[in-house]
Amino acid sequence: MKNQFGLQAMILASFTALAVGCAPGGTTSSKPTAHELAATGKPTGKVEVKLFKGGYGIGFFQRAAQDYMKQNPGVTITVSGDPKVWEELRPRMVAGDPPDLMYPGWGMDHWKLAQEGQLYTLDKALESPAYGSKESWRSTFIPSVLALGQKDGKQYVMPYFINIQGMWYDPGVFAKHGWTPPKTFPELLALCQKIKAAGIAPLTFQGKYPYYMIENMIIPWVQSIGGIQAVNDLQNLKPGAWQAPAVLQAVSMIDQLNKAGDFEKGAVGMTHTESQTEFVNGKAAMIPCGSWLHSEMAKTMPPGAQMAYFLPPVVPGGKGDPTAMEISIEPWMVPVKAKNPEAAIDFFKYLTSLPVAQKFVQEKETLMSVVGSDSGPLPPLLQSQDDLFKQSKTVYSYIARQWYPQMETSIENALTSLLNGDITPQQFCDRAEAAAKKTRDDPNIMKHHLN
Amino acid sequence: MAASKSGINKGKGTFIVLYLGPALIIYLGLVIWPLIQAFQFSLYRWSGLSNVATFIGLHNFQKLAHDDVFWRSLEHNLALLVIGGAVIVAISLVAAHLLAEKGRSARLLRGVILFPQMMSLTVVAILWMFIFNPQFGIVTGLFNVLHLGNLSKTWLAYPPTALPAVGIAFAWFAIGFYAMLFSAGLKTIPDEVKEAAELDGAAGWQKFRKVTWPMLWSIKRIVLVHLTILVLNIFVLVYLMTAGGPDRATEVLLTYMYQRAFQDSQLGYATAIAVANFVVAMVLTFLVLLVIGKDPTEARP
Repeated sequence: MKNQFGLQAMILASFTALAVGCAPGGTTSSKPTAHELAATGKPTGKVEVKLFKGGYGIGFFQRAAQDYMKQNPGVTITVSGDPKVWEELRPRMVAGDPPDLMYPGWGMDHWKLAQEGQLYTLDKALESPAYGSKESWRSTFIPSVLALGQKDGKQYVMPYFINIQGMWYDPGVFAKHGWTPPKTFPELLALCQKIKAAGIAPLTFQGKYPYYMIENMIIPWVQSIGGIQAVNDLQNLKPGAWQAPAVLQAVSMIDQLNKAGDFEKGAVGMTHTESQTEFVNGKAAMIPCGSWLHSEMAKTMPPGAQMAYFLPPVVPGGKGDPTAMEISIEPWMVPVKAKNPEAAIDFFKYLTSLPVAQKFVQEKETLMSVVGSDSGPLPPLLQSQDDLFKQSKTVYSYIARQWYPQMETSIENALTSLLNGDITPQQFCDRAEAAAKKTRDDPNIMKHHLN
Repeated sequence: MAASKSGINKGKGTFIVLYLGPALIIYLGLVIWPLIQAFQFSLYRWSGLSNVATFIGLHNFQKLAHDDVFWRSLEHNLALLVIGGAVIVAISLVAAHLLAEKGRSARLLRGVILFPQMMSLTVVAILWMFIFNPQFGIVTGLFNVLHLGNLSKTWLAYPPTALPAVGIAFAWFAIGFYAMLFSAGLKTIPDEVKEAAELDGAAGWQKFRKVTWPMLWSIKRIVLVHLTILVLNIFVLVYLMTAGGPDRATEVLLTYMYQRAFQDSQLGYATAIAVANFVVAMVLTFLVLLVIGKDPTEARP
């Protein structure tokens, strides 16, 4: 018996020794370590580029790599990608064998990578000349868009194209019934009555992924009621921000639409694909979504179906800017363990050079972070977005979902409960505030701040 | 004599080592080592995104003890195990008895009962998502036909119905396998025992309660152990049907682990959940073996 105990103790001891002895090394801090990427000389060697293969595909970047290599014979670029590229990139990051340039998509927590000192800061590179030009690379970007990749004034990730957040309708269907996209919330309520009378669901939404409704309806309404500061307070985790009157009113507006039966029945359980299919098939008249909607649904759109963007209807008398536009970016980055970071940056400079950017805008029908990339005649779908983008006096982004994913999950869950009628708007605000407090009080979560 | 005997033993020893060695090495490398690693990761604050990690001892487990979502997820696993398990065992037993009948319907049942088992769980999940679909699903349609349209909530998106709905899909998937196990078990009960019981006047429910049920003890043990492990490892079905939603109404340990690992980038904490899941499975399995450890028919005087 005694002997047996000794054996058990030995096993346990060696187990613990193993556990403590051979684990990943290093330490985390709540502040990122900056590794500055030096300005480049003449690029040479091999560059590996790994991309998220989303709605826009990766063919454009592969063709661009061919063109770049013709201009720069000393460089060999391989571009590959996958719709779940982060699953390949994660173990490679852990093993210290990342690609030279990556756009890892929404499955990679890039701010955590910044926190752990795994990404080059690119400020020196931004001060160096742009591709084939004498002006600085920084000056070629729209500053408010470039700022979305910064933390404490340092550039960790780079923007490429811009997603416009907001709402969508089918101009054909609207014209047929004599409807116009609502500009204000009372107009939206009135329109919903007419749409219901025509036997169509006024609104559908991606209920299984509640962030679509948060980003494209609730946050714009918080902005409209309380001004941009109210949105920044949420993102800055300011105590009480989720219980502010502007948030309560915005959430109450969702509740009002829900209780009036303005949302399609069952939408709360739909995936993005299901609800968006309902929309393109004309079962629902409007949907909240980012500007990738068209490329995502192009193949499923029945003949004759169209879509067009409109700004989320504003609240009359609110403090916010009625022209404000919410955008988001999908970041590109250079890992510190990249083998050829200088050439990687040079290739990315090429991708953001004006002729390439203009080509991307025309081919993919999306706006870009590069100044002047939207010049020239644009496809009609994009033109309407571009007009609103140029008119908007405020451009902002709701990045809290990327910064604080755990908080976001709690808030999304609370929204589902609100839509199921289980909690009131006030209870939603209380739950969201509790989630924000938890994040605020956790010293291991890196905090961001917007001015 | 003595020398040659030890020589034989030595040769036998080498023989055993040579034969078991490769399997042992593979087992150590592919089963034991990952287990040790899992335990090891659970002691770190580690995002799983780079090799930066901080040793924090048992802090992850302390946090887990106060994590409401962890306990709620465990409750959901246990609800699926106890309520779902009871339903599965009951239906499997009935099905096993029907399988033993002769005739057309039994032949038909034999043909279809394992059908769900042959499908991948992904297909099962998608099939049941269609069935519960609020637009064109059979469930909604049925309620509408019965003029109970008010009851036709979006089953998978409505918290009180979501877990039962997932449970129904799970039971549908699992029943065939256990019915076959029970069916095999029924065949092992000797005819003379059944005949003796019948001669004593036992029939129907009484015969089942006094003869069949006790004599199935070894099958029951296998079924319960297997079911325990299956329910604690449930992931694909829940993740695809509800992803743990709505508002965590169907969150189970492994979907929660997945969220922590790959959404929140907390691989260390997620591994602590995995270790806890492993411990719960071990404890429950031992409990089952303890309760149904002995052959009740032999225990009789």
